[in-house]
Amino acid sequence: MDWSGLVDGALFASVVRALIPVLLAAMGGLVCDRAGVFNVALEGLMLIGCFAAVAGSYYSGSALVGVLVAVVCATLLAAVLAYGSVSRKADPIVLGVALNIFAVGVTGFLLVALFDVRGVFQSPEIVGLPRVRIPGLADLPGIGPVLFDLSLLGYLALVLVPVVHVLLFRFPLGLRLRGVGERPQAASTLGVNPTAYQYGAVLASGVLCGLAGAQLALGNVVQFAENMTAGRGWIAVVAVMLARANPLGTLAACVLFGFAEAFGFRLQGNGLPAQITDAAPYVVTLIALLIARRHFSRTVATAATG
Amino acid sequence: MAAEPPAAPGRGGAPGRGARWRGAVGWATGSVPVSIVLALLIGAVAIVIAGKDPLAAYRAMVEGALTGPGLANTIQRAIPIVGLAMGLAIAIRAGVFNLGAEGQMVLGGLAGTVVALEMPGPGLVVLVAACLAAVLAGALWAALSAVLQTGLGVPILITSLLLNYPARYLSSYLVRFPLRDESSSMVATAPVPEDARIAPLIPGTSGLGRSLAESLGRDDVLVLVTRGVNWSILVVLAIVGLAAFVNRRTPGGLESGLAGLNPRFARYGGVDTSRLAVSTMMISGGISGLVGVMLVLGSQYRLIEGALVGTNYAWTGLLVALLAANRPLRVLVVGTFFAALVVGGEAMQRSQDVSAQISQVIQAAVIVLIAIRVRLPLPKRSRQVREPAGTADPAAVSEAETQVGRV
Repeated sequence: MDWSGLVDGALFASVVRALIPVLLAAMGGLVCDRAGVFNVALEGLMLIGCFAAVAGSYYSGSALVGVLVAVVCATLLAAVLAYGSVSRKADPIVLGVALNIFAVGVTGFLLVALFDVRGVFQSPEIVGLPRVRIPGLADLPGIGPVLFDLSLLGYLALVLVPVVHVLLFRFPLGLRLRGVGERPQAASTLGVNPTAYQYGAVLASGVLCGLAGAQLALGNVVQFAENMTAGRGWIAVVAVMLARANPLGTLAACVLFGFAEAFGFRLQGNGLPAQITDAAPYVVTLIALLIARRHFSRTVATAATG
Repeated sequence: MAAEPPAAPGRGGAPGRGARWRGAVGWATGSVPVSIVLALLIGAVAIVIAGKDPLAAYRAMVEGALTGPGLANTIQRAIPIVGLAMGLAIAIRAGVFNLGAEGQMVLGGLAGTVVALEMPGPGLVVLVAACLAAVLAGALWAALSAVLQTGLGVPILITSLLLNYPARYLSSYLVRFPLRDESSSMVATAPVPEDARIAPLIPGTSGLGRSLAESLGRDDVLVLVTRGVNWSILVVLAIVGLAAFVNRRTPGGLESGLAGLNPRFARYGGVDTSRLAVSTMMISGGISGLVGVMLVLGSQYRLIEGALVGTNYAWTGLLVALLAANRPLRVLVVGTFFAALVVGGEAMQRSQDVSAQISQVIQAAVIVLIAIRVRLPLPKRSRQVREPAGTADPAAVSEAETQVGRV
C-alpha cells in the first residue's frame, strides 16, 4: 500500500468538488431553519434536481437549460412542502420524509419511462457543466487549482456563504427572517408576515437544492444514478445543525464532509475496500455530531427531539 | 373500519358519538380516501407520461396483486412490511422518530445469517438462536441512536438515519469478502442449512401439501397461499396483537402514547422519557432485526448482497406506519394494502412494461396528501382549535383527541 502522496493539491480540489452540492443544499436548509421551518426534504429536492438537470440537458443539449429545469422542478416540490408545512401546518418531518421517498420513486420511474434504463443513465448527449478557470488566479500555486477552477455553480456556492451571512445579520430582510423563525407572533405584531417569509425560505431552499442537484449530476459527474444523492441532503441537514444555522460554521461542516468523502476515495485507491471508505462520510458526520453535542440550532433540536 | 361507507368524506362523523367511533369514521371518511384516490390519479398521470394506458396498467396491478399466485405473494410481502411498520409505529407513537429501520433490518439479517451458518445443533435451536441474535443486533444498533439522544442530545431522527449507511456498507463488505460463497454465481453467503429455515405453512412436498394439491388442484388459491406463505406470518401477527394489547391495556402503552403526544406533560406525570426512548428504540430495532432474519431464513435462504436494502421495505414500512397513525390494527390493514401495491406494481411491470416504482410514487403521494390534509371542499365542522402560529399541528391535535379517547 502506498501511503505517500495521500494528501496533496488534487485531494483539496476533490474536497471542494465533494462539498459544493452539500453546501448549496445546506444553505437552503439554513435559510429554512432561520425561518423556523425544519426542512428534512433537502435530500428529495436535491434528487429531483439531479434528475431534472440530466433530463433537461439531455433533451436541450444545453447545460444551462438543465440547470434551469432542475431549479424549476425542485422549487415545485418545495412549493408542496411550503404549502403543507406553512399553510396547512403539517408536520414538516412527516411531510419531508414522504417527499424524500416520493422523489426516489418518481425519479426511478421516470428514468425507465423516459430513457428506458435502470440504475444509471449515461449518454454523450448529456452536456455537463463546464469548468471555468479564472485566468491568473487559477495559476496561483496551492489554492489556485483548488478554488479557481470550478463550475459557475461552484463559485456561486462559495460566494453564497458570505452573502447569506451578510443578508442574515446586516440587512432588514435577514432580521425579519430571523424574527419570524424565533418569535412569529412578535414579528407579526411588527407588521412582518411570517407566512410570506416562511414560504420564501422554503422556496429558496428548493432553488438551492435544484442547483445542488444540477452540480451533482452535471458537474461532479455527468450522469443520473438512482438515489444518487445517497444521504447528502441529510448531511446538509446535519451541517446546519452542527453550525447552529450559522453560514460560516455550515461551510466548515461541509468542508469536513467533503474531506471525508475525498479522503475515502483516496484510501480506496490505496486498496482499502470501497465498502469501508464509502461509510466514511457518514461516520465522520456522526462523530462530528457527538463532538458538537447540544450546540444545535433551536428549531432543529426542538423539531427533531420533540 | 375501512368498510364504512364513504358517504361524508371530509367530515369527522356526527358529534356526540363515542370518541373511538368518531376516530374510526374520521380516519376512513376523512382525507384518507380522498388522498388515496388523488394519489392513484397522480400515478395515472405518471403512467401516461411513460406512454402507457393507465386503465390497463391498474387492471394488471389489481389482478397481479389479488389473484392466484399474486395473492400468496401479496401476503408473503405484507409480512416484512407490516413487521417493519409495526416496529416503526411503536417508536413514532412514543415520539421517537426512527429512520433507521433499514440499517437495523440489515444488521439483524446479517447477525442471524452468521448464527444460522456457524452454529451447530438441531435446526429449531439454530433457528431460534438466529432470531434472537437478529433481535439483539437490531436492538443494539437502534439503542445506539437512543443513547446518543438521551446522553448527548443528538436527535434520534438524524443518527438513526446516518447509521443506516455504516450498517449497509458493513454488511456489504462482509457478504462480498469474508462470508462470500465462492461456489455461487451470486454475491451472497452460503445457503443456511435446510432445517434452520422457516418453512412454508404447508410445504408442497409434505403429505398434507400433496393431498391438498390433489384434492383442490395445483392452482387453487388455498394451495398457493399455504405453499407461498411461511410461518413468519404468525410472528408478525403476534407482534401486532401484542402491540395492540400493550397500547390499550398496560401502563407502558399509556406512558409511551403520552410521551408521543406531549413529552413535557409525560415527564411532569412521572414518565422517565429518556429511559422510554431507549427501550422504545430497542423494541423498534429488535423488530426490524427480526424481520431481516425472517427474510433471509424464510425467503432467500442466504444473505444476498443488497437484497435487504433493495427491497425498500424499510421505507414502505415507514409510510405504512405514518398512514396508519401508528395504530396496530391499521398497520395490518395498510401494510397489506401497500404490499398489494408493491406486488401489483411488479405484475404491471411484467405485463404492461411500466416500471414497478410507480407503487412507491403512489404510496409516498398518499402520505404527502394526507400530511397536508387534502379534503373534498365540504362545509367544515365548526370545531376550531386555536393554536399559536407555527407550533401546533391540528392533525396531531385531532389525533390526540382520538388517542386520548382510547387511553
